[in-house]
This record gives sequence, structure tokens and C-alpha cells, in this order.
Amino acid sequence: MNNRVLIYIEVNNGVVARVSKEIISHAKQNFLQSSIDGIVLGDEQSIDSALFDLKQLGLNKLYIIKDNLLDMTNAKVYANALSVFLENNQYDVLLMGATSDGRDIAPRLASKQDIGLTADCTGLEVDENGNLLATRPTYGGQLMATIVSKTKPNFATVRPGAFKYLQQSCNNETEIEYFSLSFDGLCSLLEVLYSENKPAAEDWTCSEIIVAGGLGIQNKENFNLIYKLADLLGAKPAASRAAVEQGWAEQSIQVGQTGNSVSPKLYIAFGISGAMQHMTGITNADKIVAININKDAPIMSGADIAIECDAVSLLHTLIGKLSD
Amino acid sequence: MTFKIVVCIKQVPDTNDIKWTEHNTIQREGLDSVINPYDIGAIQLAKNFKYLIPDSEITVVTMGPNQAIDALKTAVAMGCDDAVLLSDKRFSGSDTLATAYCLSQYIKTFVPDFDLIICGQQAVDGDTAQTPSSMAQKLNIEQITNVIAIKEANNDFSVCIKDTNDYKQEIKASYPFLMAFSQRDIDIIPDINGYIKAQNKTITVLNADDIKADTDSIGIKGSPTQVRKAFRPLNNRESIRIENESVQNIADFIVNEVNKCRTADE
Repeated sequence: MNNRVLIYIEVNNGVVARVSKEIISHAKQNFLQSSIDGIVLGDEQSIDSALFDLKQLGLNKLYIIKDNLLDMTNAKVYANALSVFLENNQYDVLLMGATSDGRDIAPRLASKQDIGLTADCTGLEVDENGNLLATRPTYGGQLMATIVSKTKPNFATVRPGAFKYLQQSCNNETEIEYFSLSFDGLCSLLEVLYSENKPAAEDWTCSEIIVAGGLGIQNKENFNLIYKLADLLGAKPAASRAAVEQGWAEQSIQVGQTGNSVSPKLYIAFGISGAMQHMTGITNADKIVAININKDAPIMSGADIAIECDAVSLLHTLIGKLSD
Repeated sequence: MTFKIVVCIKQVPDTNDIKWTEHNTIQREGLDSVINPYDIGAIQLAKNFKYLIPDSEITVVTMGPNQAIDALKTAVAMGCDDAVLLSDKRFSGSDTLATAYCLSQYIKTFVPDFDLIICGQQAVDGDTAQTPSSMAQKLNIEQITNVIAIKEANNDFSVCIKDTNDYKQEIKASYPFLMAFSQRDIDIIPDINGYIKAQNKTITVLNADDIKADTDSIGIKGSPTQVRKAFRPLNNRESIRIENESVQNIADFIVNEVNKCRTADE
């Protein structure tokens, strides 16, 4: 049986969004007997500058909708264009990154097509009948739900960082087909007066080791030790929501339900209590080492190795040791 | 002409107070219901519009069982002018698609000349953020989600500030359109007049026929998604404990872990 999978490839300013690559990696590894196609929308400038990367994604086939009306992502215009494409092409599974734009477009597309949609998934499987089993956290991560849909394509959005991006060398260039449609009566009625991109979230995918700090770090000055240790280990720094709210770290490095999901080989948590919302963001880490002075902190029972120790003095010792 | 605002709200279980049954399902009995915190923000935003555009009227609508009347009364006490409950046994089991369909049918049937729809960005029980966008599609109008503030508003247009993880924008939109407001830490304390108004207010209750809903598109029948299983996140990690070790030894241990991780890679 050949399962037809379509992945929406998000391109921002000529760059392929990382989450799109993560979804492709996951689908190629886990969806057996599936052919994986992609679709990308954008204006000429954006598509042309991303074209080289797009061809290297290892897709079976890539469809491109290129029109200068697609310069700014408008959920209404994008959803309607995708809907026209789906009316002409049959798929069993449709996946999109749950970025801020993806979360705007996907529900509109599902609504237009009258199909089910499972948002913000952290787990995806295809069962023996080709049905998508989409797992997502609910109630702030306190409960996981696996959701199926009785309409085709089975549609889900995927949390950025939930899956690992596996860079694979691909020998064959992806076949490309341009899909054209009429944009009559389909233009944005919104006027963007001002737009400012935020610094991209940390490039977590390439980081094998993450050093994270929470409230147990006590203050902003101490939090610099997290950055310093990360630097010495060639790791990436991260912070819990509480530490970000204290102003000790930037939001771009926040890990958890409302921040990023990460999947490193090793996650070292210093002084993080491990609320459910935080644990949701690190479920796909290979190994979690938690350091906490409080042996009853939730993270101590959720980690692979739980070390009862004062986080700040350990940071000082480690930095001293590694700086020698 | 009256500026018509529709605020959509949802009654949710108080997620700060979830208790679990022995089968790892949510203990529904005795669970308090509250207005979704994001929706209180939406009500406050509607009140701000009313202040900026004096001849405004705020209608609050929700779909749910009869007990949702409490949430609507509270919304009236908080400052909404009218309240509507969509309630029908045939609605039960509706997923986000069916819910968006019902809400849009209500608006098409009863408030076709609306100017603005305001929703909370998401509900704290499901966190899907799907219903507002799904509704905007059914009404074929523009949407602005992740709105954190209004910079300017008058009878002809408003300028919203949209703030997401990826970008920040100022967007000008003409009516009608839908916005989803992302502030969840707003509280509105009704005054005594609000409570009196709410007490005397008759809540309009509408069923599937009233909103001209196609019964194939509502309830379980109209809901493509189904929960196959629900479970509490399992912890299948070893949880090896290290206690009463010297900081030096622990530091050595961590460096060793890091090295192990690196070698495994080569």
C-alpha cells in the first residue's frame, strides 16, 4: 500500500523553516510505504532564493505555488490557495509546522476543506491501515491525547523541535512542478504597516548537548554561569519559563510547553523544578541529567539521573575545572 | 450605525485544580468551571473598543450545556450587553471544526451585519487555537491572531499589534474581521451594577434549528477528529539518584557524561 503524504514547506525570507525539515526527517524514518511530497508557497524572490535548498530536501516531488500576491503570509490567501491544490491532488496525510503562521493557516485550510485537524503534535505515527495517529499534549501537558481523523487527508500541525532533523545526503534532486491557480478575488485585505522579525529561536536541532537553568540559579548574575558552561562544553544554553520571566534569560531560549521543544542527546538541567509544562518540552531528549538541591522536585523523578546538589556551586566547580 | 462586536467565549475546567481518577482520566465531578482566561482578555478588549467607538454593542456567545449560562451571566456582569447560549443535545461531542461551524452559523443567522469578532487566542484546556481561524474561514473574513494590543481604533478601521514567537507586526484592518487576543492575565472585577444587570438579563438560548445548522455538520457526526486514547505522560526514565556526593565528584561525573555523549557520536 502506498500512503501519500504531503508536507507544507514553510519558507521565510528565502529560508526553509527548520520545522519543515524536522517533519520530513520524521516522516521518512517512520512512515513506511509512503511517498512524501512537499508544497511551498511564496513570491518569486522568496522561492527563487530557497530553490537550491528546496531541491535538497529529499522529497519525492515538490509542488511550488509562486505568485507575487504571496509576498506576505496571509492566512486567508494561503489557506485558500492550498485548498485549491488539495482539490486537484489526493493525499492521505497532510502535515504542517505549528509555527505562528502554520497555526493560522492550518485551521482555515481544514475549515475550508471540512476536514479534521490535530494541532501542535509532538508524536506522529501511521498505523497499518494508513491512518495518522497524532499525539499532542493537552491541559498544559498534564494529559496526552492520541487523535485520529475520519476525513482525508489526515491533517496535523507539528510542534517545532518535537522531532529531530537528520541531515541526509540525498543524491537525487527532487522533481519540481509548478502549480498555478487564479488569485481572482483572493487577495489580502490586511495592510501590514510595520513588521519586525524576531531573532530566530536557537538552533536547537544541531545541539547535542543543552545546558539549562531555572529558578534555582537564584539571580541574573548566576545565570551567566549557564552561558559560560554551555560555551565551555560547546553546548547550547536554555532556560525554564520561570527563569525567563525573572528576566535572567531571553525568551528565544525558553524550553517547555510555551517555549521550544528540544531533542538533544544530553539535557543538563540546573536548578529547574520540572513543572509538567517544562517536561513536555524535553520528552524527546535522549538523556536528562537533573541537578537540584530539593530531592522532591518533580524533575528528580522525571530525569534519567537525578543529582541532589546545589546548582550554583556545581556550576562554579564545573567552570573552574573546565577552564584549567 | 451601531458598531457590533461579537465575543466568543468558552467555559473550561479550572486547569489549576485537576484531579485524576485511578485510570488516569480527569475527575470531572466537582471540577469548577471558569471562563477561559484568554476570553476574559477578549471581553476586556471588546470593552476598550466600546470606549473608543461609543455607539458599540457587545454580544457574548458560547456553546455548551445549560450550566454555561453562569459563564454568560459573569460576562454580562463584566460589561457585555447581550448574551447568547448555543445549546442543543445534538451539539455535544463537537470538535473544533463543528464548534466553529456552529458559532459561524449563529453569526450568519443572527448578526450578519457584525463589525468585529473577538476571541481569546486559545483555550487553556485544549490549547489548540483552532476555533477562531476556523470560524474566520467559514465567514470568509480576514483574521488577526496573537493580538497583544490595539494601537488605534475608529469606525472605519483598527490597527492591531500582533506579537508571535517569530515576528511582531502592526496591521491595519477594515471591518469586518476577526481578532484573537493573546493576553491571559487580565481580570475584570464586576461592580454591583454589573451584577444587578446580569441578574436581570435574559440569556437567549438557541438550538441547532434556530441557527439553521446542518445536522451532519454538528456534534459527533460533524466532528472528524476523535480521541483514540488519552494518557498521562509516562516517565520511562531510569531515575538514578545521586546523593551525598562531593561537588568535585559530581563535576567529574558530569564531564564524563558529556564525553560519553560526544564519543557516542563519533
